[in-house]
Amino acid sequence: MATYDTGSLSARFGRQFVKLILVTTVIFLSLPVLLTFVSSFAAQWVGPLPSGFLTFTNWGDVIGGTGVGADVSVGSSLLYSAGLAVAGVVINICVGVPIAYAVARYDFWGRSWVNVFAILPLAPGIILGIAFLRAYPDLSTSGIALVIGYSLLKAPYMVMAVQSSFQSMELRRIEESSRSLGASWLRTFLTVIVPNAKEGIVAGSIICWTLAAAEFNFSYIVYSRGTPPLSIFLYNNITNASFLNAAAAVSVFFLLIALVTIALQLVGNQAAVRRL
Amino acid sequence: MARISFSEARLVTEGFTLEYYEQLIVDPYYRTIAINTLWFGLATTIVSITIAVPVAHALAKYDLRGESLILTVLSFPNSLPGIVAAFMIIVLFGNTGLITNIVAAFSGRSPIDLAIATSVGGLFFAYLYSMIPRALLLLRGTYAEVNTDAEEAARSLGATPLQTFRYVTLPQIKPGLIGAFVLVFRTALAIFGTILILKSLLVWTLQIDREIAQGFNIAQASAMATIWFGFVFLFTLLALRYTSAEVSL
Repeated sequence: MATYDTGSLSARFGRQFVKLILVTTVIFLSLPVLLTFVSSFAAQWVGPLPSGFLTFTNWGDVIGGTGVGADVSVGSSLLYSAGLAVAGVVINICVGVPIAYAVARYDFWGRSWVNVFAILPLAPGIILGIAFLRAYPDLSTSGIALVIGYSLLKAPYMVMAVQSSFQSMELRRIEESSRSLGASWLRTFLTVIVPNAKEGIVAGSIICWTLAAAEFNFSYIVYSRGTPPLSIFLYNNITNASFLNAAAAVSVFFLLIALVTIALQLVGNQAAVRRL
Repeated sequence: MARISFSEARLVTEGFTLEYYEQLIVDPYYRTIAINTLWFGLATTIVSITIAVPVAHALAKYDLRGESLILTVLSFPNSLPGIVAAFMIIVLFGNTGLITNIVAAFSGRSPIDLAIATSVGGLFFAYLYSMIPRALLLLRGTYAEVNTDAEEAARSLGATPLQTFRYVTLPQIKPGLIGAFVLVFRTALAIFGTILILKSLLVWTLQIDREIAQGFNIAQASAMATIWFGFVFLFTLLALRYTSAEVSL
């Protein structure tokens, strides 16, 4: 250790420099979040910093609805989005778990292709939205389109979470002992494999739910009338409402993410928390 | 969707025409947009990876206080949609933005002149805001696999930290770098919410939206979407085939 050459420039300043970048990045990423949250309690923001603490008018406007501008309350949007996202997650569990299982357990032709397609979300929201508008014109104004779109867009996250859980299990051995004890294939899958992967499934569901509840691009293209999903509500607030109201609306969303992060930590899936 | 883009009629899908693709190739307007999208995506990708590498390096190698808090903060923006990222940039660089006002206080100029949130510069930061965490996601995984023995050997043989990084660490994280490049570049091309709010540069996704919003020219929008899809698909495929990158989001 002591024999390290300490005379060069990078030995003396390299570490400080790298740390500086780290600190700058952390500040760049976290400062606006904090500011937004703090300012949502402020009465006005005219100077460099918000002032007039502590008021709940902005939160009141967001939670109760104002009747002007972004006129619906967050409650209905949140509930609507939550419902849509739950439906999307249910589809994802039904589709994602078998896919993850097949890829992790079996060797078949095109396996790596399935893997690539399942994991890479190839079409982003806006592209998928356009596809939906014309492929199913009757559906596109209803919540069904949103549900299907959410599940398609977020399926990769489910597959990844479940797959990492499957990969840490000795699938073949578990399956063979269960089968040799007389359980049918379906019973093995449902009562042995799935419960063992519970952690991955729960983590995957939480991640999919959050991402679906926050999905904007697809909702923006497809949504046309009725209760706006949460992301559209945020968009309306950011573009049409006063700055501090928007800050409160965005803060509602932050709280949601924070809750989900805590939920993930309770489930104990550290990897999933990082990934989110 | 691809079918619609070849359709002749405007409101129903029938017939076959290449008119909309021809339009995309011939019209210099669309060429400008394509070039905008590509150079901006490329520039932001390179910058965000350049920033993410030292950050991942610090997280992997140094003993940091509050490391789990830092990790949470760094991965938080991954779950924010683009519109929120845009709002974050307005908070920092807008007319009342904190950084705008700090700079204004030091330079004595009006904050209104200095606000860059709705300029290309602000958009650049907004892209970085959503891209750095994604690049980190991959790079941290790569760093976890780096062989530290080789690095220590290099150091004790007299290499400076920079040389060690250049000749020992960098070759090891190369697959991760390529993977991050592919992922982040795709993210950059797909960004839509951010640009919808900041609106400072006309990129491909924004134009798709305009085709629909103004005149419901869905055939043109579909043609653009098809091209987008084809481009990203080919790009990913080529990148994965000709490099040994391990992309796992």
